Amino acid sequence: MAVTRFPVPEESRRTSFVGMVMALASWTMLFVALFFAYAVLRLRASAWPPDGLAPLPKALPALNTLVLLGSSILLHFGSRPEAEAKRGALRRALLGTLALGSLFLALQLAVWVPLWRSGFRIDTGTYGSIFYGLTVFHALHVLAGLVALAVLLPGAFSGTYTSGRASAVRLSAMFWHFVDAVWVVMFVAVYLV
Amino acid sequence: MHQWPFSWLTTVDVSRDGWRAEALFWYTTLLCVIAFALVTFALVYSSWKYRARPGVKALYTHGTDRKSFAVTGILAALVFVTIDMNLVRVSQADVKEYTYNWPVSPDTVRIEVMPQQWAWNIRYAGPDGVFNTADDVVTLNEMRVPVGRPVMLNLKAKDVIHSFYIPNFRLKQDANPGYVTRTWFQALQPGNFEIACSQMCGWAHYKMKGDLIVEPEADFERWMKEAEGDAKRRFDPADREQLWGWEWVQ
Amino acid sequence: MGDATMSKPVPVRHLHVGPEFHAEQHIHPEPTSFLSRYVFSKDHKVIAKQFLWYGLFFLVMGGVMAMMIRWQIAFPGTAFPVLGQLLWPQSGGVMPPQSYAAFFTMHGTLMIFFAITPILIGAFGNLLIPLMIGARDMAFPTLNLMSFWTNVLAGLCMIVSFFVPMGPAAGGWQSYPTLSTLVGSPGHGQTLWILGIFLTGSASIMGAVNYITTVVRLRAPGMGYFQMPLSVWGIWLTAILNALFVPVLAAGVLLLFLDRVFGSHFFLAGASITKGGGDPVLYQHLFWIFGHPEVYILILPAWGIVSDLLSFFSRKPAFGYKATALSMSVITLLSMVVYGHHMFVVGMSPLLSQGFMTLTMLISIPSAVFFLNWLGTMWRGSIRFATPMLFSLGVVFVFGLGGLTGLHLGAISSDIYLHDSYFVIGHFHLTMAASVLLGAFAAIYFWFPKMFGKMMNETLGKWHFWLTIIPITIVFCGMLVVGYAGMQRRLYNYEAYEFLKHLHPINVWITRAALLLGASQFLFVGNFLSSLISGKKAAENPWEVGTLEWTIPSPPPHHNYDEIPVVLHGPHEFNNPAVTGKDWLAQDEPIGDEPVALGAVGN
Repeated sequence: MAVTRFPVPEESRRTSFVGMVMALASWTMLFVALFFAYAVLRLRASAWPPDGLAPLPKALPALNTLVLLGSSILLHFGSRPEAEAKRGALRRALLGTLALGSLFLALQLAVWVPLWRSGFRIDTGTYGSIFYGLTVFHALHVLAGLVALAVLLPGAFSGTYTSGRASAVRLSAMFWHFVDAVWVVMFVAVYLV
Repeated sequence: MHQWPFSWLTTVDVSRDGWRAEALFWYTTLLCVIAFALVTFALVYSSWKYRARPGVKALYTHGTDRKSFAVTGILAALVFVTIDMNLVRVSQADVKEYTYNWPVSPDTVRIEVMPQQWAWNIRYAGPDGVFNTADDVVTLNEMRVPVGRPVMLNLKAKDVIHSFYIPNFRLKQDANPGYVTRTWFQALQPGNFEIACSQMCGWAHYKMKGDLIVEPEADFERWMKEAEGDAKRRFDPADREQLWGWEWVQ
Repeated sequence: MGDATMSKPVPVRHLHVGPEFHAEQHIHPEPTSFLSRYVFSKDHKVIAKQFLWYGLFFLVMGGVMAMMIRWQIAFPGTAFPVLGQLLWPQSGGVMPPQSYAAFFTMHGTLMIFFAITPILIGAFGNLLIPLMIGARDMAFPTLNLMSFWTNVLAGLCMIVSFFVPMGPAAGGWQSYPTLSTLVGSPGHGQTLWILGIFLTGSASIMGAVNYITTVVRLRAPGMGYFQMPLSVWGIWLTAILNALFVPVLAAGVLLLFLDRVFGSHFFLAGASITKGGGDPVLYQHLFWIFGHPEVYILILPAWGIVSDLLSFFSRKPAFGYKATALSMSVITLLSMVVYGHHMFVVGMSPLLSQGFMTLTMLISIPSAVFFLNWLGTMWRGSIRFATPMLFSLGVVFVFGLGGLTGLHLGAISSDIYLHDSYFVIGHFHLTMAASVLLGAFAAIYFWFPKMFGKMMNETLGKWHFWLTIIPITIVFCGMLVVGYAGMQRRLYNYEAYEFLKHLHPINVWITRAALLLGASQFLFVGNFLSSLISGKKAAENPWEVGTLEWTIPSPPPHHNYDEIPVVLHGPHEFNNPAVTGKDWLAQDEPIGDEPVALGAVGN
């Protein structure tokens, strides 16, 4: 048998890309299930917010949505393959995203703390359960995303990510965009409608 | 009364509509036995006929020719049409005529049932026809119903999920905490029957028994009159445990 | 090899080459330290063995619990021999009702998540995917390692829960609230159960992501999806279901955790909540959105393995290979939209119930297709009745029983009577316990030589088969009978009810058969251990089949393939007329001098 082999490019990056897509699909189902739970509880309730509770604040969460979207845009342009060659671009994008992500968490605290102090707690019926359950669970993901990005910093400074290893940057960025996308849905579902 | 195979196994069916479950069960069983007999026959026959023997080679085929494809497709479609479509058809009729066909006649007996760990609280509306009032007849683990009249239940659990199960009526309905579920039945003959819980509700689940007493109309009315009299005397507005019941859900 | 005569010149055959061909697979040196080699190994073959031992441990644990449960049903008030005195000395060896509830809960949990899942998905998924698709390892070896050890943490949660005050979870393996909230289960056992499920779910997802990616990216050149063995198809579809639906269960138990630990009100309702209660049935929706696919998660690997083994031992290509693979895929899709048939008596909307019933019935079509294909594979074959083949035939038999009895439960009006009865227990044990267990045995007997390089004893294997299939059929068909007679599941003492008392003799016979079933597993344990120590050395290809794992030594070297094979045929080329001298053909074995081109030609 004569087997002719043709030269092929190195593409192990695509394998990790496929894996990350699957992992995020799985993660999406987790949030889909949580939103489904929210929808069921809300449909069963006679009024929303139930029991004469005050509606949630909208201004600060809206600002927070912009903060997260801004971080995603920043990260996207900083982690593009074209930007990889320029070491500074990635460094700046990472630092900017970390700052905006931290700002997001700080603003979330600014939303939670006054509400909690006013007596609106996780055991204030399903309304409180949904609000704290979903937003805190999401904030934990933001925190995880921040850690994943922070881990990249030393490499960004030393210039490791100019070669094929840059898939680490790409994967962390994918996770960050995912967390942001979930937030947009959550903002609309929990605060707006 | 209907006669079913192996009737010594089961309880006597004393309900107007229990035959539906039985009829569908045995119909399904018949179809299954035929299908399973064919599969088993093919399995045993092939195992014997085509066992490895020296000098005999297996046929080289991937079963991808048009004929194999057609045979498989036709057989699968046949299974679906003869078995599944039939079951759906029968079951849809049962559902329409009985399960979700709530009784509306004025002689319907209405009962609210609130199971708790591990007992059945049972409530009749009393003369005013409204639940959770002073004249309600309340019993524990004992449900009395008349022969021949439809009985409709509203169920809502107090603590955990329970399931109201009356084997002699081939009937089962979960009772959930938080909202009302409904079911109904009609008895054809008097007698004392068991109420069982069929949803795991804690370690004493197996002890959660009740009695379903089916009486002739006159006996039932007599008992109801007496119970209504007692109810007024026994009612104690301070006893908060006694204050349960909800607006009837038809 | 390949000495078949081909006279006229053949045009160059362009093999299927997907993106996977481009993926680089280096040969990594074998680890040398004990820890990195046997404990924290990244080698898929070692992880497969770890999963196998881990699963067998919990299989024994869950099995012993099943024996005790059956003992209590048949002989209430008597002490379980030996173990009873150890576990419940204060009651003279008799199992108390609280322990009974804990045992049937943990029996289900351990068997599903810690025995079947690790053995069929963990062990055989790990072993077979890289070997059968011609890869050197999984796509993400580190993730593989993490998956196993996360699972171990999960198992520890479950084991520890037996030793906390008030014992382990005792609300049934579904753990429906409000019984599983503080209202019905105040102890820490239920919280540990949630943690364990969450962790084992995470491990399953890690495994699933790895399996899917490996199949998509690392197939050897020439191996398109329709050249993959059906075992790989089954495991791959299972992985897809795991990746998509285990997260739904995770969401359900997460909310349950919040209810228990942080006092939220997702599932709480009833007297304990005065205002703003949640919905306990919401948990049932989440549970069964996961739970119905879970049934297929458990059975799909066994279906795939059986489909392969029937062809291997009938010495005939799998009949309608593509149709079988597609039917399995269609069932995978259908499993996502039928979950409501588990909830006909919870008080769901009538319209929803009827829709779910109709969708459920559609499952018959693909099921009928692959049943017919199984029988078609045997038809005009030359069947060798080795132990793996016997167990495969056993799977077809018990799955036939289990699948058909699903019809009774899929139709609303018969389900209303049979729901939560022993009929359900009989049905789902036949499908996802008996068939899956027999499938696992078939797989173990078949791949033991490749895993450990030794042969298992055939005589003991055949005894084990007959002493398993007969009692297992009696046990679960007996349950169908008492279920039809009206007996509910999960009763500590069914004789508390008058209408069940006459079922005593049947229940005693079920228990006797169950004890025989339990005892005959010693044949397997003995065979397994003695073969491991002193079994006959296995040749490279003892079963004479053509899939890739049998073209390399038993057990394979650390990197599996010295050179990545080039796949030329499907997995079931038996009795190909172009081959002389033997009745099988390896997937990478050429017939004649057919020239082959690989790589980006013309695209």
